[in-house]
Amino acid sequence: MLHGKKNWIIGILITLIIFGIPIALVAVPRSASQQIDNPRAHLPKHPVPTDHSGFFENADFKTGQDVTEACLTCHPEAGEDMMKNNHFTWTHEYTLDEVPGVHDNVLGLKEPVKTGKKYTLNNFCITIKPNWPACTACHAGYGWEDDNFDFSDPKNIDCLACHDNTGYYVKAKAGVPAKSVDLVNIAKHVGNPTRLNCGACHFRGGGGDAVKHGDLDNSLIYPTRELDVHMGGEDMVCTDCHRYEGNHVFKGRSISVSLDHKNQAHCTDCHSETPHQDDRLNMHTKTVACQTCHIPTFARKEATKTYWDWSQAGKDLPITNVHEYLKIKGRFVYERDVVPTYAWYNGGIKDRYLVGDKFDPSKELVLNPPAGDINDPNAKIWPFKVHHATQPYDKKYDILLTPHTYGPGGYWSDFDWDKALRDGAAAFGLPYSGDYGFARTAMYWPTTHMVAPKEDALQCNACHTPDGKPGRLDWKALGYEGDPMIYGSRKVNLETANAQPGGQQ
Amino acid sequence: MTHYSFKRYLGLMALALILGLATLGVASAQPSPIHPSFPLLDEDGVNVLDSGKPISVMQTCGGCHDSEFIEKHSFHSQVGLNEMFPAGQAPSGRPWDTSKGLFGLWDPITYRYLSPPEDKTIDLTTAGWIQVYGTHHAGGGPAVTSRSGLPLKDLEVSADNPETSILNPETGELEPWNWKESGTVEMNCFLCHMPDPNNQARISALKKGDFGWANTATLVGTGIVQPSPDGKGMVYNKDAFDKRGNLKQNALPIQSPSSSNCGQCHGEVQEDVTKALSYRDLDENDWNTLRTGQIFSGQRISDSALNIKGKSELKRSWDVHAERNLKCTDCHFALNNPAYYDPPKELNPKHLVFEPRRPDIADYLQKPIHDFARGAVTKDEVSSAFVTSMRRCESCHDYKSTHSWLPYEDRHAQKLSCEACHIPAMHATAIQQNDWTVIDADGKGVLTYRNITGDGNPRNPYNMLEGFKPILLPRYDTQGNLKLAPFNLISSWYWVYGDPARPVRQMDLKKAFFDEKGNYKPEIVSAFDINGDGRLTKVELRIDNKEKENVVRAQLESLGLSNPRIQAEVQPYSISHDATWGEYSTQDCTACHSDNSRVSDALMLASYTPGDVTPTLVGDVNMEPTGDLIKDESGALYFKPNTAKEGLYLPGHDRVKWIDWLGVLMLLGVLAGVAVHGGLRMYSAAHGAITHHGLTRKLYLYTFYERFWHWTQAIAIILLILTGIVIHRPDMFGAFDMGAVVPVHNVLGFLLLFNAFFALFYFLAGHSIQQFLPEPKGFFHQALQQAMFYGRGIFKGEPHPFEKNEKRKMNPLQQMTYLVILNVLLPLQIITGILIWGAQRWPTLSDAIGGLRYIAPLHTFIAWSFAAFVIMHMYLTTTGHTPLAAIEGMITGWEEVEVEEGDHMTTV
Repeated sequence: MLHGKKNWIIGILITLIIFGIPIALVAVPRSASQQIDNPRAHLPKHPVPTDHSGFFENADFKTGQDVTEACLTCHPEAGEDMMKNNHFTWTHEYTLDEVPGVHDNVLGLKEPVKTGKKYTLNNFCITIKPNWPACTACHAGYGWEDDNFDFSDPKNIDCLACHDNTGYYVKAKAGVPAKSVDLVNIAKHVGNPTRLNCGACHFRGGGGDAVKHGDLDNSLIYPTRELDVHMGGEDMVCTDCHRYEGNHVFKGRSISVSLDHKNQAHCTDCHSETPHQDDRLNMHTKTVACQTCHIPTFARKEATKTYWDWSQAGKDLPITNVHEYLKIKGRFVYERDVVPTYAWYNGGIKDRYLVGDKFDPSKELVLNPPAGDINDPNAKIWPFKVHHATQPYDKKYDILLTPHTYGPGGYWSDFDWDKALRDGAAAFGLPYSGDYGFARTAMYWPTTHMVAPKEDALQCNACHTPDGKPGRLDWKALGYEGDPMIYGSRKVNLETANAQPGGQQ
Repeated sequence: MTHYSFKRYLGLMALALILGLATLGVASAQPSPIHPSFPLLDEDGVNVLDSGKPISVMQTCGGCHDSEFIEKHSFHSQVGLNEMFPAGQAPSGRPWDTSKGLFGLWDPITYRYLSPPEDKTIDLTTAGWIQVYGTHHAGGGPAVTSRSGLPLKDLEVSADNPETSILNPETGELEPWNWKESGTVEMNCFLCHMPDPNNQARISALKKGDFGWANTATLVGTGIVQPSPDGKGMVYNKDAFDKRGNLKQNALPIQSPSSSNCGQCHGEVQEDVTKALSYRDLDENDWNTLRTGQIFSGQRISDSALNIKGKSELKRSWDVHAERNLKCTDCHFALNNPAYYDPPKELNPKHLVFEPRRPDIADYLQKPIHDFARGAVTKDEVSSAFVTSMRRCESCHDYKSTHSWLPYEDRHAQKLSCEACHIPAMHATAIQQNDWTVIDADGKGVLTYRNITGDGNPRNPYNMLEGFKPILLPRYDTQGNLKLAPFNLISSWYWVYGDPARPVRQMDLKKAFFDEKGNYKPEIVSAFDINGDGRLTKVELRIDNKEKENVVRAQLESLGLSNPRIQAEVQPYSISHDATWGEYSTQDCTACHSDNSRVSDALMLASYTPGDVTPTLVGDVNMEPTGDLIKDESGALYFKPNTAKEGLYLPGHDRVKWIDWLGVLMLLGVLAGVAVHGGLRMYSAAHGAITHHGLTRKLYLYTFYERFWHWTQAIAIILLILTGIVIHRPDMFGAFDMGAVVPVHNVLGFLLLFNAFFALFYFLAGHSIQQFLPEPKGFFHQALQQAMFYGRGIFKGEPHPFEKNEKRKMNPLQQMTYLVILNVLLPLQIITGILIWGAQRWPTLSDAIGGLRYIAPLHTFIAWSFAAFVIMHMYLTTTGHTPLAAIEGMITGWEEVEVEEGDHMTTV
């Protein structure tokens, strides 16, 4: 007052220092000592979408291409980027060196080795070629009906599949918008991808809701916290983990279609490597994937397909439950709340069955065995959904066959295996002897979504059981002497391990 | 011919299948892979395949292990036989108790009692005891040896000797019991050392009096032995043995005891957590579960099939140690097991950290001590020498590394057992009340369980188990230190008669209540049947008035029982299992430091008190909890512990009422005085009292350091009072986290101490201390003069009686006040504060002067005084030349003071 405001400020500052510093030093650390990790701080900030509602007042979009053309007028670079993006190309290309496993291939492997949804084979609907329109309903493009689809025309890109924010955008066969869709309205309401955008395809892979992954289904559109602690508990969207990295590229890979595990998304993108308060749990994190304990079971809400027997197709069985039998597809087993299969996994695959590969039909063929074993410092014990199937193969050439199922002349209309297999082989250039059978195959699907709340995570006794009674993990099969609680953990120099081994889309 | 052999072939196939399945089932249970195969021998050491006689475990296992040694060093076998007392001299104090163990110590819940040998009226003879209590006895001890030490088989059979007779419940007469015929029950190694022993077959053999075959019956189902088709004895299956007569490998897998083995007698143990725990699993053999609610399982409570309140939120496991794969024997180990044996550090010479001279594995396997490590118990129990031989929580857990968040973690550890916080609640149920003053239609006493809805039956899946909070009671460790630990209290009411007293036998109760057909007698029905429907329900079946009591008494007297009367006792059952970890344990400070404190939570003893008899604590407990018995309007009886009387002082929970009242009065008095005085000053100023407009001048009264000291002290004191209030009454200030406020209060206290210390140095070094010291000469007169000014002169605008100047900044009243504040109250407050703060570091220091219960109230009282002083002080600063002159002076150093011819001035 007397000596001006300055003195007052200095006085208050001195007081704050005298009282604040000791309190901060002594009292605050006590209560703060519990805080280990702040994963929320690592969440990406999404751009606020521009309001497009004023841009298309006089637009008259007849086709999807019309919309894309409008998009490209302002976002030409997006067209360039998307034409390289595997959501559009459905293709990966590798050099021969990059292909894991030994391949005795009747077609011969030529560089570049092409994989991706467009070229590989699974044990669900088997191949896209020559069944395009049914499969390409989920293609981020318009009109892929046959081998003649023009991947070089940016107008064929479907922007709305990912950017529609109305929820009313629906794709029909070959990926064209369904007739009822009001393209103008949807173009006016575009924005960042939501769970519904990604889920429209990824939740329904394999021909319906929850069929394929076991950890991705429609229940994730509006999930509860119990179902998915990230998307339910925190209302996160897919792109919070599958982050945008510029040029329409996102983090995330799956060993179901990719041969590599570059650009993977990881729990540790947000969480600490040792996030537990309990040291004992933190000791697990170099050997056990987060998912192993935090996803105690998959398909917790919707049942997922775990077995598909193509050999039973074509019969007129008195079974009306479409989850047990369909004449066009054969017999199925759907399971809910399934305990995963556990295996070492370093993010990559040991091998990948490529179209034309010879195999031993006397054993179950694993199309994409996960890479890693107990001696691999980068490998961790991971949970998998394993989908078993029987699917057609050529008994003479010992190769899996690629049936023509969808469309005129396909198996689904004619129920003629011989014709379907002959047409399918021709489409790929595969030899076909006419002598076909059904081989047992399996596919590994890493389980990584639907992370349960921490209070539902596995407890010690799920794997480490008293008196060596069987638990979730088969220690001997994993390469241990026995329960490492008794026999000790693996003797691998984990210091050499990468910080972020095995992850999954 | 062909037909016949085909049938035989089928039979063989079936047998092979059964054997194969049996082996499979056994193989998965991980028997000891190195235990050699062995022959089964009878009591004469002859292979049972040859003799066909019962297996003698002492002979069979005794081939390698010193079975006699094991039996002698096993309280599971001895159950009190080696520590017998004449009737009435056992520590329990009950006139009919003869030991500290199952053999001779009465359990009012099971109710049957081993009669003292000299009794005329007998309830259980030795043979009767085996039939009743053998279910929970590992064999050996009193089931083989008489009280005199002779083998039971060597006793001369006589109906007069309760060791060689049995009571015929039909006639009420003793009949001779021939041990040679019945056989005795040797220590049963199989019961604890094989997976899935057939306890049911063993128990049913015991109940039938088929003692000799009971141990062999434990193996029924393994394929080794099965009951004989003619109903007498058992026959051995030769296929289970090899050519030499040894058991085939894996026919009888031997293992160190699994938790399930222990659970057969002790309580519910669930090892396979993939199966939901159901009400069917809680049977009457689960003694500890029924008495405490403890369930040893790693399963999440939410995953159980029990109907538990709030189950979906209870994601904790029943017991964190079970969850983390500990088994019973990890804590309750054989005391000379070299894997666990770790002599207490105190027993080592100072220079020795590890004692390498320990039993060899071979020594141990030959002579394993079967007195297992056990924790602190509150009772003078059997083999009490081994009490606390177990590792306590803190012997395995480093408490410090996980409790840094907890203020005063050492203090908490001194006064609380780990269980006090880590067993916050029992989620199943436990017995609350055991009433044998009446019997139900099955002839049993009426049990009441804690907090079950519906009809109160724990085995009715429609009833919801609401769980209960165990009561926290002081338990003394071996050093005599008090720690609060969780308990269940079970109250029992029962009839006794005669002198010395004996409980009225169950058979006599039946005679008193039932007619010959086993229906309630008409007298009983007419006395108890409230609604007149001719049936007695559980609610009706209670002695809640004199009339009912007299009816039963008359019935008992008519049986010839003299002076029948109702007695009652409370038995404490300590709870150490069902611990949980951090998140689910008691972490909130105000759980205890509040009015509704966990430490004074009352526990219901009984929902009604039969015969209006108040129960007392049984005599063999080494605890004397202080507290109050409270009876509510419904007649329910509660025990509310009073930890303050135990010498515990919990800030936020305990306070001395009169000190707070005194403090409030002091504060109100000062406020009222200030209001009246200030009001009068304003009134007189407004109504033209002559204001003295004397000469003034500006003096530099306070140096920078003096001002710095003053304001630091002022802020510290005010903040200390504010944080102190939160700590004192956390209930009133729930918005503040007590756990965060306490360390802040402590830091402020030390700031105050440092500030005072530096100031003392400053004033002493600079001789300015003199300003605080009153001049003795004329002090009283001057003080009076100053008081007269405040009382009268100030309203008339008279000048201050003493001039304020650099040499004399304070008037006599100020000097006196500050002398008291700075030299008495402040040091006292700092000392008491340090003692409270230091209670965890140097507990002996605070305890030496009576402990927190004296120090803390003093601290509180001084705090009240400071609060009053601060208000008075702030008011009196306005009595200077102008109301703000003094404050300005303390801020800038320069104060405008009045100058009188007589050199007098003031402010306070």
